[in-house]
Amino acid sequence: MNATILNGGLAGDLFVDRLQDLLLAELATAGYQPAAWTLREEKIAYCLGCFECWTKTPGLCRIDDAGRLVSASVINSHLVIYLSPVTFGGYSSELKKAVDRSICLLSPFFTHVDGEVHHQRRYDRYPALLGVGILPHRHVEQEQIFSTLISRNAINMHSPQHASVVVTRDLDEPALQAVLRPALSVQEAIHP
Amino acid sequence: MNTPQTATLLIGSAKPIGDSTSEALGGYLMQRLADYGLTGETHHVARAMRSEARTAGLLAAVDRSDLFVLAFPLYVDSLPYLTVQALERIAAHRQAQENARPVRFVAIANCGFPEAHHNDTALAICRQFAAAAGLEWAGGLSMGAGTPFGGKPLEEAGGMARGVIAALDLTATALAKGDTVPDEAVAIMAKPFMPIRGYTLMGGMGWRMEGWRNGVYRQLRARPFANQSD
Repeated sequence: MNATILNGGLAGDLFVDRLQDLLLAELATAGYQPAAWTLREEKIAYCLGCFECWTKTPGLCRIDDAGRLVSASVINSHLVIYLSPVTFGGYSSELKKAVDRSICLLSPFFTHVDGEVHHQRRYDRYPALLGVGILPHRHVEQEQIFSTLISRNAINMHSPQHASVVVTRDLDEPALQAVLRPALSVQEAIHP
Repeated sequence: MNTPQTATLLIGSAKPIGDSTSEALGGYLMQRLADYGLTGETHHVARAMRSEARTAGLLAAVDRSDLFVLAFPLYVDSLPYLTVQALERIAAHRQAQENARPVRFVAIANCGFPEAHHNDTALAICRQFAAAAGLEWAGGLSMGAGTPFGGKPLEEAGGMARGVIAALDLTATALAKGDTVPDEAVAIMAKPFMPIRGYTLMGGMGWRMEGWRNGVYRQLRARPFANQSD
């Protein structure tokens, strides 16, 4: 089983990198072949909103940079982890840079999911989605927004399972493990 | 509440100038605010985030404004990358000031899905940004079915823009008086300009026609990354 971590830590945020290392170790223990993208170190251009990945080079962004590789890694994973400082309740800019470029994984055509309009699948299988947010201290409203955003992304990305956790920067390694281990079981329902 | 004198518009779309629905919406609101005597300036996010000097220009513009308007497209359930980056910079800049000038903040979200409520999470994020940056939240407008508008001025968009124009007129009147975005404007803006079924049918036809024009009609469902293992 493949797993991809998208690390949305901003420059100098060592806590996010430590959390990435912890997740990599936990994933390996759980039997995954994990890969991590430290997005701030990758050359990924911003999405132009041109929709050429739907209508000119279907399934492929016209920009040939690491954004393509990240999208390929995501769609060929069983589990994707969005690891990010919680930024006003949402993702950091670094994570959003890669997430925006992932629309090539969907079809432009519409479908209905639970009575709402969404885009159709392009691929047969999509990964489970786990959001791991980081806050300096508890913030109920932002945690709720982060959780909702993961749920909304999971609907749009046809993720068969999703979950989210928010950790605070004061937690030590055992406390982080205690939070992350149950969250990583999000994918077990599909691949026990 | 003092009436505002100055407004700054940030267009959160990365599309070329003149091509985006965000610009059409934000630009129209700025015109109406100008009718009430507000002076304004407009920044495009792709330009504003291109260099430190341009970003400093945006930060200074927000600082000297009474009203900061953000018009943006929904990208994957939230704000686009460059817009998030701009908001990160604005929040950090204002947090670093001991006595940041009071500024009111309005957000206008538009999405390509026919239902406006897809924008709810993005507007919740905008509200949290306002709190983090010490801005006063003056409300948000949410529009679905934004794709057909493109960069066309709303006055030239015909009947489909009637509700949007009414919502923005109400909003401009309220903001110029120092009030928040009226509930009536929010409701009008969120109302689809055509039945959802018709919108999705026309949308599908539009994608097929574009694929045909580009010579990839039969490849529209291509799977270039398909080496999925189970």
